[in-house]
Amino acid sequence: MKTVQVHPERCVGCMQCMTACAVVHSRAGTLFGALAEVPRPRPRIHVGAGRWNEGFPNRCRHCDPAPCILACLPGAIFRDPAGGTVLIDPDRCINCASCAMACPFGVLRFHPDLFAPAGKTVAVKCDNCLERQQEGLEPACVEACKSGALTFEESDAALRRQTNTVAAALSPVDDSWPPAGIRHAELLRFRRTLTELRRVAGR
Amino acid sequence: MKHLVIGGGIAGIVALETIRRHDSRAAVTVVAAEDHPPYSRPMTSALVAGTASPARMCLRPETFFADLGITAVIGDRVVALDIEPRAVHTAAGRRISFDRLLIAAGAEARLPDVPGADLDGIFPLRTIADAEGIVRVAATASRAVVVGGGLVGCKAALALRHRGLPVTMVITSSWPLSQQLDDAAGMMLRAEMEESGITVLPGRSVAAFRGNGGRVTAAVLDDGRELAAELAVVGKGVVPAADFVSRKHIRTGTGIRVSEYLETSVPGIFAAGDVAETFDLAGGGWRLNAIWPEAAEQGRAAGENMLGRRTAYPGSLARNVIRAGRLDLATAGVTVPPKGETGFTVVDHLDHRRGCRRRLVFHDDRLAGMVLVNRIAEAGRLMQLIRTRRPLTLPPDLLLEISLGDCGWPICI
Repeated sequence: MKTVQVHPERCVGCMQCMTACAVVHSRAGTLFGALAEVPRPRPRIHVGAGRWNEGFPNRCRHCDPAPCILACLPGAIFRDPAGGTVLIDPDRCINCASCAMACPFGVLRFHPDLFAPAGKTVAVKCDNCLERQQEGLEPACVEACKSGALTFEESDAALRRQTNTVAAALSPVDDSWPPAGIRHAELLRFRRTLTELRRVAGR
Repeated sequence: MKHLVIGGGIAGIVALETIRRHDSRAAVTVVAAEDHPPYSRPMTSALVAGTASPARMCLRPETFFADLGITAVIGDRVVALDIEPRAVHTAAGRRISFDRLLIAAGAEARLPDVPGADLDGIFPLRTIADAEGIVRVAATASRAVVVGGGLVGCKAALALRHRGLPVTMVITSSWPLSQQLDDAAGMMLRAEMEESGITVLPGRSVAAFRGNGGRVTAAVLDDGRELAAELAVVGKGVVPAADFVSRKHIRTGTGIRVSEYLETSVPGIFAAGDVAETFDLAGGGWRLNAIWPEAAEQGRAAGENMLGRRTAYPGSLARNVIRAGRLDLATAGVTVPPKGETGFTVVDHLDHRRGCRRRLVFHDDRLAGMVLVNRIAEAGRLMQLIRTRRPLTLPPDLLLEISLGDCGWPICI
């Protein structure tokens, strides 16, 4: 199953994911329409500024087990059995902020929302754009992300890609490696000997 | 394997669900005193306020036990526990044997030991029955008095005020929630409660209740003053409901002492929730942190451990979150360093522009506690730092500033 993968090191802090998220959760579905709406559509993803002003896209991790589900006083937070998305029933929510105390990632916000009973302040967080996914679309934040900080893929595929990226980063930098005269098999044998020596030395 | 759970509160419920998630065949029995589908105890104040219906307080359907294939003994209570052979005895004369036991019997509200405390119209606020009793009396009462300034007292006072009743709050300290709030935040809460129409009487306690025809008519204060009230709600803390546990066999402090796997001193017997004394992450040592979300977390870990799936529960953390009028408060851990102890640093921060106040308490290089006034949406991140007791690599004052989602962009909150 495809899920949203976050690669914070690629985030440039442009905040387009936030805008896209707010727009998708508006009645109009367009930026200009959304800006005029009451209640104002708000994003479910939040880009924070780090210590050196670097961006960090902060989004619900849909944990399992989820601390917010266990902490929710009215039992309004539940897991979508099909895809594992953690969802909030705005009708049952009592705005007690118990979830905010439980969430180690600080992803919950409290405000009136298009999807809540009119005038009611409720807890709001990422819903994985389930409606868009049903239409075969990517979550809006992923679609908006230009830097590859947010991707929508199988987590296995993402991990494999990351492993390959790490491997590539450790590859020899030019064609002069391995030095002339040393063939691949010898190199492997050398490495194995080194490992064995380290093991014996207890390091 | 025969599993037995004592208690149908949140710790028991979550433990039962955890057991069933991994083991669909084990024999599971629950003994629950209250004849009501599993409900949310913290929402009893919402029932008093009239903002929630009893149906909305239910956390699980009426058929919960049947759906999970659990033998439910409802309306009965455990009166004795035999370690060898393993069995419990109930008030109705049942004998239930078990291989693995979870004691999640909860706690009972502590009632004041003063003359007249048994009059009608004086309630704790813990069960749905308490809340329904309060609502019944509040319908005809013209004044209410709330005794105690803890979380229950505050929520009761706000709820009764929400119903439109004149409320007087009698607290022994100078401000409500004095165990969690420092003076500045405490006085803000007191001012907010007074502004909502609640009369707060600090530094006073109730010495007696007066009644007429068995019904309460007034509370007598320690200075001799009398407060006329036809309704009194008492929030003076709780006592673990562990009378059936013999101190000879199971190690007990204020509550039943448990290991990080929520096991008592007797292997195979576990405890969770308000009855259990767990490791206290903020202060060290064992402490009874009778907090609902902690009870849920403990129930989950206990359920896993009962099945032999070793799941550590690092410990509990005193914390509270309350919304009172325009004031949002979130507190956790050590908020006022104990006198005479060294190693503590307190950083207070007032942000006029955003209308919020933060206090962070550090112990050596770790975050030990916090008080947040307004802008509490990211309180969980600080909670996590306190909980994990991770050494901090950032200068303390940066923690006041760094946020994961507040960048000043107009579309942000």
